[in-house]
Amino acid sequence: METLTPAPQPKLSLRDVGKEFVLPRTGERTVALESVDLDVAPGEFLCIVGPSGCGKTTILNMIAGLTQPTSGAITIDGKAIDGPGAERGVVFQDYALFPWKTVRENIEFGPRYRIGSTMTRQERGERVRQLIDLVALNGAENKYPYELSGGMRQRCAFARALANEPDVLLMDEPFAALDAQTRVILQEELLRIWGEEDAEAGRRTVVFITHGIDEAVFLADRIVVMSSHPGRITEIKSVELPRPRKPEIRASAAFQELVEEIWQLIRHEAYAATIRA
Amino acid sequence: MSRVTGSPFIRAAVLPVTLLVVWQLTVMLHTPSPRTPLPTHVVEEAWKLIGSGDLPLALLQSFWRVLAGFAWAAAFGLIFGALMGTYRAIDRSLDPLIESFRSIAPIALLPLAILWFGTGTPAAAFIVGYAAFFPMIVNTIHGVKSVDPQLIRAARTLGVGRFTILRTVVLPGALPYIFVGARLALGVAWTSIIAAELAVGAKAGGGSTGGIGQMMFVFYAYSVDLNGIIVCMISVGLVALVIDRGLRRLENWMLPWKR
Repeated sequence: METLTPAPQPKLSLRDVGKEFVLPRTGERTVALESVDLDVAPGEFLCIVGPSGCGKTTILNMIAGLTQPTSGAITIDGKAIDGPGAERGVVFQDYALFPWKTVRENIEFGPRYRIGSTMTRQERGERVRQLIDLVALNGAENKYPYELSGGMRQRCAFARALANEPDVLLMDEPFAALDAQTRVILQEELLRIWGEEDAEAGRRTVVFITHGIDEAVFLADRIVVMSSHPGRITEIKSVELPRPRKPEIRASAAFQELVEEIWQLIRHEAYAATIRA
Repeated sequence: MSRVTGSPFIRAAVLPVTLLVVWQLTVMLHTPSPRTPLPTHVVEEAWKLIGSGDLPLALLQSFWRVLAGFAWAAAFGLIFGALMGTYRAIDRSLDPLIESFRSIAPIALLPLAILWFGTGTPAAAFIVGYAAFFPMIVNTIHGVKSVDPQLIRAARTLGVGRFTILRTVVLPGALPYIFVGARLALGVAWTSIIAAELAVGAKAGGGSTGGIGQMMFVFYAYSVDLNGIIVCMISVGLVALVIDRGLRRLENWMLPWKR
């Protein structure tokens, strides 16, 4: 069917994507993902929630280009993804900071070493300074990761991913290892840095994986709810809460209703997964 | 009293000093002969050898050979270790070769070394390098393999190429293990230089090639001076200690993040 007003091209597009793992020892096949169809619009903040083992991290790794789908196609701006690239920044759950590099050197890593980078030393220094301001790591520039708190490491990893100025930011449960207070603060910081208060055109596309339903509702434009065995999309929910989102929004009825609705969608599987494990 | 025994330096010195006194007294109670070294004679001999410059020169000569041998061992160990740690196919094909050569004592290569390189520095450096190569490569392989794969993934997502990742992620990540390898390698290098020089000295009949091992050989075969041999042994031990402490300093300086 043809549409008269063509929708803008999605930033990311997953078409009938599947992933099978073969255990090397037994040769046993596991279907991690089955026929996933998903479009992510430019500047959209998309959260993926679901029980453990539903393949959310696999989706993220495939978009990052770290693993290939066994079936289907993934494109960015219409072009097939065939490996990692600087236009897709990743923030890992365990931060994956280089322990032998200081905060400054970690953030500088992409602009300094990536293929085809033309930035001069001065430009890099300037960029790193801006990012350190942005994530409020002033005073910690010359510290090593082992000297930082969990929240600071997380902010450093975030700044490192931003240093390449990626179009797409992929975040794999970035706040999972933090305490509840730090998490809430960093969620608000993340929205600020993402550009919630600015025009929509300036925002990056974000794919954010989380276990926390309230986290997803607070952050996202849309929430992908997944289920496991095999991993697939159960439902996609739009979050109609106004932006910029203030902390008080968490107490609103609309917020609570959406959290409850999503919880009902994954409750059964979450119980099953937890009690079996 | 408790303050004196509490000092770690004094506590460490008690046993050696006691042993020296017992040694001295035991020998003095019997008839001293050239075959029984005596602490006081050892000190005299050491003073003489240092004063004449013979001992420092011999140590320097040996040390230089150790460095030469260690340098090529480190270069080959690092390159092949990095390759074997990175590529499974290279690891599979080279591992049996390395493991079988590893059990051949360096000293067993002496006849070959002497026939190929003569009795001078190249032969000694060859033996030393052979000995130092194995701790170097084994630890490099282990270090490269134990680099957190998540860090390599992180570097790839930052758009960094393969070779740059090897240089900026894999090597720094493996560096703590490489340092362990270097310390072990310098240890066995310093051990095997003595053996090599002793044997090379034997063939050259105490010629002018020098080195601390040959100095020992001369004391043993010509002047039959056990005090001199003891001086050599002690200085070998002291140099080894200095080398190891120096490497640890270097390690702490180069790996400030490793606490």
